[in-house]
Amino acid sequence: MHIVVCVKQVPDATEVRIDPKTNTLVREGIPSIVNPYDLHAVEAAVLLREQWGGKVTVLSMGPPQAAEALQKCVGQGADEAILLTDRAFAGADTLATSYALAKAIETIAAKEPVDLVLTGRQAIDGDTGQVGPGIAARLGLPVLTYVCKIRSIDLTQRRLVAERLLEEGREVVESRLPALLTVVKEIAEPRYASLPSLLRAARYKVQAWNKDDIQADAQQLGLKGSPTVVGTIFSPPGRQAGPQLEGEPQAIAAQLVHELAARGIIGIQGPVGVSRFESITQRQSA
Amino acid sequence: MAEKFDAIVVGAGPAGITAAYTLAEAGAQVVLIERGEQPGTKNTMGGVLYRKMMDDIIPGFWEQAPLERHVIDQQWWLLSEEAAFSIGHRNLGHDQPPYNAFTVLRAKFDKWYAQQAVKKGALLITETVVTELLKDKQGRVIGIRTDRPEGDLLADVVVVSEGANSLVLEASGLKPMPRSETMAVAVKEVIALPREVIENRFHVSGNQGVVIEAFGNATLGMTGNGFVYTNKDSLSVGVGAMISDFVRRRIHPHQLLEHFKQHPAIAPLVAGGEVKEYLAHMIPEGGYETMPPLYGDGFLVCGDAAGMVIAVHREGSNLAMTSGRLAAQTIVEAKRDRDFSAHSLSRYWEKLNQSYVLQDLRQYRRTTPTIERNPQILGIYPSLLNEVMGQFLTVDGVPKREKEKRLLRLVTRRRPVTGLIKDAWRMGRAML
Amino acid sequence: MNQRAQAATVAERAPLGAGATTVDSGLPQVDVQKKLFTVRYKADKESHLAIRDPQICLACKDKPCLYFCPAEVYKWEEERITIAFEGCLECGTCRIGCPSHNISWRYPRGTNGVQYKFG
Repeated sequence: MHIVVCVKQVPDATEVRIDPKTNTLVREGIPSIVNPYDLHAVEAAVLLREQWGGKVTVLSMGPPQAAEALQKCVGQGADEAILLTDRAFAGADTLATSYALAKAIETIAAKEPVDLVLTGRQAIDGDTGQVGPGIAARLGLPVLTYVCKIRSIDLTQRRLVAERLLEEGREVVESRLPALLTVVKEIAEPRYASLPSLLRAARYKVQAWNKDDIQADAQQLGLKGSPTVVGTIFSPPGRQAGPQLEGEPQAIAAQLVHELAARGIIGIQGPVGVSRFESITQRQSA
Repeated sequence: MAEKFDAIVVGAGPAGITAAYTLAEAGAQVVLIERGEQPGTKNTMGGVLYRKMMDDIIPGFWEQAPLERHVIDQQWWLLSEEAAFSIGHRNLGHDQPPYNAFTVLRAKFDKWYAQQAVKKGALLITETVVTELLKDKQGRVIGIRTDRPEGDLLADVVVVSEGANSLVLEASGLKPMPRSETMAVAVKEVIALPREVIENRFHVSGNQGVVIEAFGNATLGMTGNGFVYTNKDSLSVGVGAMISDFVRRRIHPHQLLEHFKQHPAIAPLVAGGEVKEYLAHMIPEGGYETMPPLYGDGFLVCGDAAGMVIAVHREGSNLAMTSGRLAAQTIVEAKRDRDFSAHSLSRYWEKLNQSYVLQDLRQYRRTTPTIERNPQILGIYPSLLNEVMGQFLTVDGVPKREKEKRLLRLVTRRRPVTGLIKDAWRMGRAML
Repeated sequence: MNQRAQAATVAERAPLGAGATTVDSGLPQVDVQKKLFTVRYKADKESHLAIRDPQICLACKDKPCLYFCPAEVYKWEEERITIAFEGCLECGTCRIGCPSHNISWRYPRGTNGVQYKFG
């Protein structure tokens, strides 16, 4: 089974702040990491390979230093790593990015058919979640987003059954293969890779592909192929601090119930008050 | 079966990266193991990098390395409550290549430096903790164990450059746990300020830099010092003292840092700055007497792990680099002779002995114990000096002869003549 | 000598009450959490620090770990030391400074712990 995982190198978003004066992202000193969701996708792919045999290829688009991110994925167990790096790719929005990645996957598949494409649910810098579905649309693949579990794979029937994590629950979906899955963290926890695997990654030379390697139409790449325009970036105004209740826990709890009920946030049946609440807590402590 | 290398280097700091770089350059198969996400992410120092020792390894490195400023001005401030007695040396000869020293931020510098070692052929493994040395039945070191699955690696020689917190050496029985009188803890902040502000406050232009070491009230008389170093668009401001002092005085290190930052001589330098990062690190200041064995069958010890710090001169990274280079050269020779015994690796000791490293460490062997045993040296003299200067420079109509008498009385009240002579003798013996 | 210095000298001699986490040393009070907020961490799930024998801490008069730790990882809460290992800067001071060597200390797993941005 051949699985392609699309990964992105991103600034560690937990560290990114917005300069309140200029409304631009402060990137200075911000380390680059593999988009966390993508690491879960790599782990899911490696687990599938360990079960079914085959190969995991990681694919990324970015500046030459994004090879670091791919090398990390090799350390996590990927077999091959390809970096699309070319000035022509620079400034791409999700449309141009999904075009370039789709062309690359076509190129990869021409040499070795691809059964499954995995991506993280979204990148933590742009947070669009569009690139995965964009690739699927261009390649004519069925797309399953927010996949939290792969239940079964049938390689002879070319079918896959997966669970999608939705707000109201889990949805079980069957799809034909090849398919594209965007995954959530629950799909698999990235392993603490073995030392031999890290040594392999340290020795591994990431393959660099340019726009000609994927036979891309220059008009659809990078800034030229990107209709998205970012207007402004700003921090939403901070929320005002709410009222703070002080006193004994029982009294506070009762007051809180009152406040919530008064605002219609909760409904209460039966008598409301300190006495009722006390009886509950007393029961619990007894 | 664990893979075998010519050499394994434990820890990507100045010593370890230098050893890996030098070994790889000589064609040895070397793997450099670092626990941080990248080399530098777990590394901290005040921030002064000396040119000479780095130049010995990568000639003209300042053309390409991520440096902050080149130092043209070094100052020593003796602080009392509200005064400072300062001496300094500004040298425009240090304003041009090859320069004398630079300020650096280690997260950037170490990452770059390790990349140079990788370009020479060293294998870099990050995010991996080395837990112990592997030994054969005869007790010879034959490799390392890491906390990774299948985490053993073998090598002819292991270079232990794990830093101040020498857990591997201790776990392998090569070093006792250091005493709190021999280890300092330093805290530091990287404080962002616009370039122009730094240029105005420190009277520099372009990439010129200033370093200030502060004593006395900077540490409330504890054995240690405070510092202010200029970076491109930030200051490195820190303070450090012996752990035993913090135990005795019941002061938080960060509280001492805040005290230092609020000192009337320091506050104007840092005013309006934004703290970008807060850091803490131990410094082995026990000196020569507390150094572990530096070589043995199949291993060498470099840098902070070896206790190679000369606290009074703020030197450490230079000793680390030189020791890493000499360790690598020793391994190259041992490889040529196919002999990795303690006897063969003792050439490392000889090389260190011929260099400034062990000569200086031996010269200053008494400094830290002397200062530690004589708290009056940092406790009394900085404030006394400031009192004397303050009175001497106050024009108040008192005849000079009378003033001199009063000052002498002031001094001898705080420290009798015999004590003064003893202190001078002690410090002379400790430093010269 | 101004007030600040006097207070420092007094505090030096003052005995430490059990359970106290700071001594009024006349020094500026510092909110270390604000400082730690500037630090980048990749938090481990389990603590790399542990108290070997809580009884020793009970009997420990000075509890210097409440002072010398630059991240104030250690707090005395209801008869025991609590460890906020997530804020640990991995300096190792507590390992050396604990008078009873009662702190079991290892580095966090390779991918975890403090990750300085500037250094």
